[in-house]
Amino acid sequence: MQSTQPAFFKQGPKPATRLAIFAVLSLALMAGDTRYHMLGVMRQQVSVALYPLQWLATAPFTLFRTSRDFLTRQADLLEENRQLNDAQLSATALAQRVKQLEQENIQLRGLNEAQRTLPKPSQLAEILYNSRDAFAAKLILNRGETHGITAGRIVADASGLVGQIVRVQPMTSEIRLLTDNNHMVPVVVERNQLRTVVYGRGREQALEVRNMASNVDIQPGDILVTSGIDGLYPAGLPVAKVENVDRQSAFARIFCSPLAGIGQHRFLLVLEEASPLPPYPTAASAPAAAGKKKRKGH
Amino acid sequence: MPVSSQILRPVGTHFIVLTFLAALLGNLLPWQATLANFAPDFVALLLIYWTLNQPRRIGVGVGFLLGILMDVGDGTVLGQHALAYSVIAFLTLWRNRQISVAPFWQQAISAFLLLLLSQLIMYLVRSTMGAPFVGWSYFAGPVIAAPLWTPLANLMLMHQRMGAPEEL
Repeated sequence: MQSTQPAFFKQGPKPATRLAIFAVLSLALMAGDTRYHMLGVMRQQVSVALYPLQWLATAPFTLFRTSRDFLTRQADLLEENRQLNDAQLSATALAQRVKQLEQENIQLRGLNEAQRTLPKPSQLAEILYNSRDAFAAKLILNRGETHGITAGRIVADASGLVGQIVRVQPMTSEIRLLTDNNHMVPVVVERNQLRTVVYGRGREQALEVRNMASNVDIQPGDILVTSGIDGLYPAGLPVAKVENVDRQSAFARIFCSPLAGIGQHRFLLVLEEASPLPPYPTAASAPAAAGKKKRKGH
Repeated sequence: MPVSSQILRPVGTHFIVLTFLAALLGNLLPWQATLANFAPDFVALLLIYWTLNQPRRIGVGVGFLLGILMDVGDGTVLGQHALAYSVIAFLTLWRNRQISVAPFWQQAISAFLLLLLSQLIMYLVRSTMGAPFVGWSYFAGPVIAAPLWTPLANLMLMHQRMGAPEEL
């Protein structure tokens, strides 16, 4: 139409001319954009101008999503809530299990470490259950005669002495715990090497050091370790920590708590059979220790 | 528009601008990215329409400007759409008289060819710059756009027919 317009219809250059101009311009733009990267500013300007349109184009979708979320039916929410609750419950159960396994793993690692550092070789045993005997502090282990367990073996965990095997069945064995009433362990105070004996007072009760003068040099916080004098307990095994010293009466009443996690874990170490006693300096004390062991064991 | 027995109301510049804005909006919709090549190029379609119907106002220059906007909006090489739109605007102007009196379905064919040409130009531009062939689906947009021509033309004319006498 325009190409055949008479000259008095003023409307600028012919379409072909315009095309030529704009095509050249386009090519120049392309070259400038790709070769010389000098049109970044122009692109930015145009994109600022274009932004409202872009915003408008995406706005309905955003709005749709928002309103759909807003209008989600109550039932859907309830259902989702219920599902999430279920999922949370099972996740909690799982997390607890993981936590338990973690604890167990830590303990086993500790035991492994202890097994290597303990003076005697040892055997790992799992606690089957607490003895049902309410009058004695005893545990049942899953290792018995067939595993080479014999009565009189010492049981420890990673942090200290736990007790002694007193009865052995083919597949299980029974530990008399440190805390069992009148269970005795010959110990020394780690700080000053004072020799003494620590007594059990019953399940869940503190241990006690008896028959010590009221001015004895034992303080709260002292660590008691096995002395090894009886030839049954290996020397240096941590036993208890002094908690409380009562010096009011003629004899001091010294209460201690076991260092081993008695009643805490599932795995314990059964130390190997007492090796023949190392040559002991005093010949007189050896039979005495052996006699004591015998009494205590049964 | 095809030969009409109606006197149409003149088109306001505002209306043209508004329709172009709507077309840009259509091209910038988020689903354009997912459907990629299958989405019709509304801007090109509308450019052809207005160049056909308002050749005194809409032409190569407007095509070029719209092309720049599309280049920025799509993030393509600056000038790619501009060149393609300039060319199709020119061709529409060149054959304006033949096309504008044809019935809508024939106009749709012309529009289809023009849109195809536009895609071809853009493809050539990109392949000259070393881009690999992106597949034949790049030319699927015009196929979908062509059937839209008649509804689009009727929609646009609705505005011009409003208040116009039914017969001459």
